[in-house]
Amino acid sequence: MAVAHELPDAIRRAVGDAEVRVAAASDLGSDGRFGERWIVLAGERVLVCAPDGGDARVAVDLPLKDISEVQVENLVGGAMLQALVNGHKVDLLSYTNALAKRFGRVRGQLDAAAKGKPLPDEPERLTRCPTCGLVLGEETQVCPRCVRKGAVLRRLLGYARPYRARLVLIGLLMLGAAVFGLVPPYLTKILVDGVLVPRRNAYLLPWLVLGFAGSSVLSTALAIWRSRVGAWVGGRVSFDIRAALYERLQWLSLRFFDRHPTGTLISRLTQDSGGVQDFLAYGLPWVASNAISVLGVAVMVFIINWKLALLVLVPAPLVSLSARMLWRRMHRAFHRFWYRWGRFHTVVNDAFSRIKIVRAFAQQPTEIERFQLRNSDLFRASVYADQTWATLMPIVGLVVSSGSLLVWYLGGLIIVGHGPLSVGGLMAFLAYLGMLYGPLNGLTQSAQWMSRALTAAERIFEVLDAEGESEKTPGKMALERLHGEVEYRNVTFGYEKHQPVLKEISFQVEPGQMLGLVGKSGVGKTTVINLLCRFYDVDEGEILVDGVNLRDLDLSTYRGRLGAVLQEPFLFTGTTAENIAYGKPDASPEEIMAAAKIANAHDFIVQKPDGYDEQVGERGGRLSVGEKQRLCIARAILHDPAILILDEATASVDLETEDQIQEAIARLIEGRTTFAIAHRLSTLRNAHKLLVFEDGKIVEMGTHEELDAQKGAYHRLLEIHRKTSMVAAVDH
Amino acid sequence: MTTDAKTKEPPALRYLDPGQVRVFRSPDGRVRATVAEERSVIAPRFLRVHPLTDPDRYLSIREAEPGGQEVGLLRHWQRLDRESRELVQAELDRRYLHPVVKRIVSAKHFWGLTLCVFETDRGLREATLRDTRDNVIYLGEARILLTDAEGNRYDFPDTGALDPASRALLAQIL
Repeated sequence: MAVAHELPDAIRRAVGDAEVRVAAASDLGSDGRFGERWIVLAGERVLVCAPDGGDARVAVDLPLKDISEVQVENLVGGAMLQALVNGHKVDLLSYTNALAKRFGRVRGQLDAAAKGKPLPDEPERLTRCPTCGLVLGEETQVCPRCVRKGAVLRRLLGYARPYRARLVLIGLLMLGAAVFGLVPPYLTKILVDGVLVPRRNAYLLPWLVLGFAGSSVLSTALAIWRSRVGAWVGGRVSFDIRAALYERLQWLSLRFFDRHPTGTLISRLTQDSGGVQDFLAYGLPWVASNAISVLGVAVMVFIINWKLALLVLVPAPLVSLSARMLWRRMHRAFHRFWYRWGRFHTVVNDAFSRIKIVRAFAQQPTEIERFQLRNSDLFRASVYADQTWATLMPIVGLVVSSGSLLVWYLGGLIIVGHGPLSVGGLMAFLAYLGMLYGPLNGLTQSAQWMSRALTAAERIFEVLDAEGESEKTPGKMALERLHGEVEYRNVTFGYEKHQPVLKEISFQVEPGQMLGLVGKSGVGKTTVINLLCRFYDVDEGEILVDGVNLRDLDLSTYRGRLGAVLQEPFLFTGTTAENIAYGKPDASPEEIMAAAKIANAHDFIVQKPDGYDEQVGERGGRLSVGEKQRLCIARAILHDPAILILDEATASVDLETEDQIQEAIARLIEGRTTFAIAHRLSTLRNAHKLLVFEDGKIVEMGTHEELDAQKGAYHRLLEIHRKTSMVAAVDH
Repeated sequence: MTTDAKTKEPPALRYLDPGQVRVFRSPDGRVRATVAEERSVIAPRFLRVHPLTDPDRYLSIREAEPGGQEVGLLRHWQRLDRESRELVQAELDRRYLHPVVKRIVSAKHFWGLTLCVFETDRGLREATLRDTRDNVIYLGEARILLTDAEGNRYDFPDTGALDPASRALLAQIL
């Protein structure tokens, strides 16, 4: 039995005594509103029921024998489970995207039951935490609430732990600076009470002045030392975080990149880690040293006159309360500000990476407008953040400084009434008070530092915690040698949840064979390749390489044995030689040249002014598309992959160049398992096997001759191609 | 108005006159559409051409299966006769699960996740938002679409028209 969730009693009663073989709850009612409905396979009947008070309403009741197939119709925002009854589709029940996985599985079970096959009993993949019900990470199935118990701050400080010794030093320096900072006001008291008011003891004067100077110099020196060490720790921690972040980004699943615009990722790497650094280098030490100062000052004012001290400290809770309010508002304002930064980056990035297209379509004004829109967004967000700050801070300051008025009045009364306070005491008291409110202000200001840094840190951790791709569940097996036998078994996959692009496809390739993938655009050819590279994991079914499930293979070793020549030849910034050696950085110059020669690239490379040292990639090096492609082929040859991927490698070049590329490719694929995609069927004529795709399914499989003779889908494609003179050569 | 596949003319869209189109339920219970007495489509699909920006104009009538051909376009499907209109409306309601948020009941933040309760035109719904800022689409000045961690989308047609409490929560979410 494969019950997805606990079946409510009412539903169970409605179902009767028959054995419940499958049961699952949906989240939409029959009227399309959110609600609960159940589909149950009980004995030989399929029922759809909705709880209705203590009872259940049965909406569908079908004998299993009448159902020939169970299907899913993808709708917008959800899907509908349907049964094929006498050739008619009968709607069973609908559900939102949230339950796509569950009902994908239910569909498989009901379909198997309808066809008299045993039910596939895969465990339901959890999408929510069994403890707290929170949505789990897509790949790791980790519950964010139950796992991440620490606070952002604690986690951030965790990065500083390796530098404990320096942190202790910083602490001692702060303590020292604070203690020396407390000396001058006390000296003021001695000066006023012992020298100035009684008008004697002039011999004390130079010593007191020396004391002032000494304590100020020492406290300043310690503060400088502390700041220098703090800057190092902050910079270092931010360095570590950037490194972790970048490494994480390199390993993140492609799904993550599909979802997040590059600009926001770049801003996390630059802006956010900068924010964290500021906080650790300046913010945190500032907070800590201010806290020490406040403590020291509090002790001193209590020593001078504890009653007065108590009265003066009355506004303190008010200060901390307003600081808290400030914190919340600032947090929000700065969050928005950082977010706008990210969007701003995206626009700029977009425009510059497509500058030629922008020019070609004369869209500069639109781009400028788009930019201005984001720019003014950013402007508004920064004005809001800074104005909020600028308004609230002085108000807090005003509240805070009301304390000194109190001291003048009450302290004056005590002195006039010959109470236990001297004039010097009052002066010192006021000086300390100044020192108290300064750091208190600082502490409230730390709200700004903190909120800025913590939101930045939060965004960084978001990436660090984002579900990694396949790599995160590293395969256990590193195949020593890859023969290149590949098998797809009932593979189903969709980029968006349950909008399958590939539907239950199965095929097999022997080592060294060339497989041609044929079909119109958007039928799933590139997806087959993406899955082979394990850029994405299959949703259902499995891919076997040399008989081993791809999920069980060590990914980096496996990918190291893959080679690709893609539609858009991509070169990295660097020299031609470096580009060819990308997959084998330790290749000797001769190996590189040999590969280039095989790829018909050597001759044009040598004729460039800088030969193999020619700069290519984003900057410099104006290579033609054909040249770039041949560089990519050379790269693949040097890489010596067991499995080779060719994606439309000759799509956009002239005939002569195509010939050269074809020749290079023919040399490249020799002895390698090759997956080739081409719209020009001529390039696939020699494939051992052609797979013809239509709407995510393989509709035909065989050699060029076999399929042509079948007069089916492939033949039709050939006919279309024959009509254009370019591919007239297909036939011979 | 009509296209003929056999001519070498460039392909043109076929706009249908609402008077030409009839949608009805055939005796076997299936929805059927006839176009100008020349074509009959069983279980046609009615797709909105601009589901977000102009859902009520331009409706594409297509053959049953995904990938099926377009039979024609209706500029104003509301001008169909009553029975047809009701069946089209029912089909659209079935296909487009498009909850429109009327109020944000609550929003709690945890570690990059936001747990929200939305009051929508389809009832109350709890939604978990992850990477919110990357899963929001801004359509014009005041309209946003939010996609939650489970792939469900929520429409806020006019954020300015939300009640102040919802607006404040939305500001937190974004």
